[in-house]
Amino acid sequence: MFTFVVRRVLLFIPTLWVIATLTFFMMRLAPGGPFQSEKDIPKAALEQLQKQYGLDQPLGVQYSRFLGNALRLDFGPSYKFPAREVREIIFDSFPVSLELGAWALLLSILIGVPIGMFAALKQNTAADYGAMGLALAGVSIPNFVLGPVLVLTLSLGVFVFPPALWQGPASRVLPVLTLSTAYIAYIARLTRAGMLDVLHQDYIRTAYAKGLPERVVIFKHALKLGILPVVSYIGPAAARVIMGSIVVESIFAIPGLGRHLVNGAFNRDYTLVMGVVLFYAAFLMVLNLIVDIAYTWLDPRVELA
Amino acid sequence: MESLARCPARYKVLAAALLAACASSCAPPAPPTGQATNQARYFGDTTPPQGQVFTFNNGAEPETTDPGKMSGQPDGRIARMMFEGLTTPDPRTLEPLPGQAYRWDTSADGLTYTFHLRPGLTWSDGAPLTARDFLWSWMRVLQPETAARNSGLFFPIEGAEAYSKGELTDRSKVGLAAPDDSTFVVRLHSPTAYFLFLTQYYTFLPVPQRVIEKYGVRWTRPENVVVNGAFLLDKWRQGDRFEFTRNPRYWDAASVKLERVICFPVEDLNTSTNLYKAGVIDWNPSGNIPAQFIPYMRQFRDFSSGRFQGVYFYSINVTRKPFDNVWVRRALNASVDRDAITRDLMKGSRDPWALFAPSGYPGYVPPDSIHYDPRYARECLAKAGYPGGKGFPKVAILFNTSEDHRRVAEAIQAMWKRELKIDIELSNQEWGSYLQATTQLQYDIARRSWIGDYLDPNTFLSMAITGDGNNRTGWSDPRYDALIRAAAREVDPAKRMATLRDAEALLLSDGPMIPIYHYSTTELVKPYVRGLYPTALDTHPLRHVWIDHDWQRKPVAAGAR
Repeated sequence: MFTFVVRRVLLFIPTLWVIATLTFFMMRLAPGGPFQSEKDIPKAALEQLQKQYGLDQPLGVQYSRFLGNALRLDFGPSYKFPAREVREIIFDSFPVSLELGAWALLLSILIGVPIGMFAALKQNTAADYGAMGLALAGVSIPNFVLGPVLVLTLSLGVFVFPPALWQGPASRVLPVLTLSTAYIAYIARLTRAGMLDVLHQDYIRTAYAKGLPERVVIFKHALKLGILPVVSYIGPAAARVIMGSIVVESIFAIPGLGRHLVNGAFNRDYTLVMGVVLFYAAFLMVLNLIVDIAYTWLDPRVELA
Repeated sequence: MESLARCPARYKVLAAALLAACASSCAPPAPPTGQATNQARYFGDTTPPQGQVFTFNNGAEPETTDPGKMSGQPDGRIARMMFEGLTTPDPRTLEPLPGQAYRWDTSADGLTYTFHLRPGLTWSDGAPLTARDFLWSWMRVLQPETAARNSGLFFPIEGAEAYSKGELTDRSKVGLAAPDDSTFVVRLHSPTAYFLFLTQYYTFLPVPQRVIEKYGVRWTRPENVVVNGAFLLDKWRQGDRFEFTRNPRYWDAASVKLERVICFPVEDLNTSTNLYKAGVIDWNPSGNIPAQFIPYMRQFRDFSSGRFQGVYFYSINVTRKPFDNVWVRRALNASVDRDAITRDLMKGSRDPWALFAPSGYPGYVPPDSIHYDPRYARECLAKAGYPGGKGFPKVAILFNTSEDHRRVAEAIQAMWKRELKIDIELSNQEWGSYLQATTQLQYDIARRSWIGDYLDPNTFLSMAITGDGNNRTGWSDPRYDALIRAAAREVDPAKRMATLRDAEALLLSDGPMIPIYHYSTTELVKPYVRGLYPTALDTHPLRHVWIDHDWQRKPVAAGAR
């Protein structure tokens, strides 16, 4: 186990290097640069800015300087927000995305898993079809539709929750609901499928034959394996729910990290994009590692080596 | 879409609450009938906030809050709250009123301005503010190391251009001087009629030297910043909000009624409009209402619109064939039906515009507009050697990716096909690539827009001179350049405006640009907000704003808040 973790962590380094290099050169290949705007910038000012940011150096020098700085986790100041360090921008806005994503993921598991179990136990009944029909709807409604509908009903219709912004517990409700719906639905379907698979296995029949109460059979024996597909899904889902909440962040004006990635690319904010991409990449790899470790705990057949 | 839904239930609840509050606190209660109908005519919730707190959406996170370096409206709004220039804009007309300077003298040749500062001016930390602060702040913008984007506005000042380009190193040759603590003298190289307007512009605001030297780029953080304007920066969280409180050391603090101002950087137009409707923000400034909702909004009393000093136009790359031929440009210009675009496509949310400079410049009489005349356009095209559109090369309209730009481009593509029988392709690019293509003249025809910096046609016309960084058409005409230069030297206002008018006539007749529509301000303001008026530059000195908790007893006609 220990060697596995060490090896995986060591593998992070070349992976991040490849990502950093690709991103660096792709950003530079994109037409335009960080200082152009609709209004002309004076030539002297442009030259000064390029000198300040080292953009007057050959690309190779820029690249090696960037790698050196990245090793020290220093991406320099943002081009778009010159008074702010990229590091500062990430540390300011990531906790917001993390909180939003964590609530959404928690809600998805707390609602999705019971629904899936319920549907599996009532397989092929009206209740099963009803639950899975809802899940299908949940997966199908995009959050840029769901978000405005929730705002219309629960914020502008009857003022229960604020329509946007990130202040106070009430403001969390609508974005978290919007973000989690698709995941609730998907987790419910995964749980149902996993549980059905397990419930038909011999060892469950044996458990029943031993005379164990249904509660014990389901929660102790079936759930542990039946939930495995959900666990392997949680890794990428956590990454997506935390990083991919750009639409929700925009609809609800949430000061998260997602928008920096998108706007940064449009603005050719080289340093900001590099910082955010590497941060996300590292975050995703750590999440996947955690999922792999969780696997061994849930399924003794899996061995990490 | 969501912000369009009606929500009568909520108004009933509010009306009931207002009535109940009124019954307990004031006698006799206000007539209930008037109240109910009044409520229905407002788009947003009309409950005023507690106390003198004003909340609005600034539209985006400012790139910087350093006045000397900034460029952009969200940044400018923040700067104008914290700092005050030599002059300050009139809240309705934007005419320069005394600000940090209480009076000024102009020499007869129009070249020397002497500003007299108010006695006893201080920064918010109590340090005295003197003419040297202005001198230092203005020189800072001109220093190449500052890399100020708007330093070009200083170029009417003697020696300023050469100094900012590093060609002149002797600071004393720049026409700025502070002979004593309360006198600031500016020498111009040519009489610049709009110079006083510039002194209220954000690039000309004074900034605190000691603080900048101590904290570097972090000087604008709430814990460091020192201001001289009406409001102090109390809190800032990136992407979340700015909060300001009244600056007790501001010279006119007694007339500032607002105790706190909060602004959010909400970019999504629907979200911004929702926040207004729900009563979270009191002001949804221009540009933050989705265009398709504007016709619907017109029925509400809290909606207002006015002319905004900006023009949407197509720019023609005259360095490419066939656009080097003036008759081709004339043909294209005369076959754009601007009325159809604004009426059918934009549903009246914009005004058709066939001049290059927008409307509303005091003293300026524009030349004749371009006429929509398809027959004349076909003649022009024939003169250019493409009768009936035959042999016209395949060219493209470039625009940055946006549904609105696409719709306009499609309409114009169809008009040119119908009237001139020429085929035009559409090409959209994301923002960065689009900017690169337009600045490098890698396009045929490109969608562009221009918004003025000050109330004078020069802010539009000067961009078309040869080699100007904003020209971006490759068009060059020595006669035009001479007219613009002559206008800059002219002292007599009427003659100067006449020269500018000749320049614009020449520009329109030569047609490197195809004006399409005039921008409008479209904003939502709560009826209890006073002292906030629609202006041509869409700038609003917020120190005049206050919350009228008693607004229903003395309602003011819309537009005259």
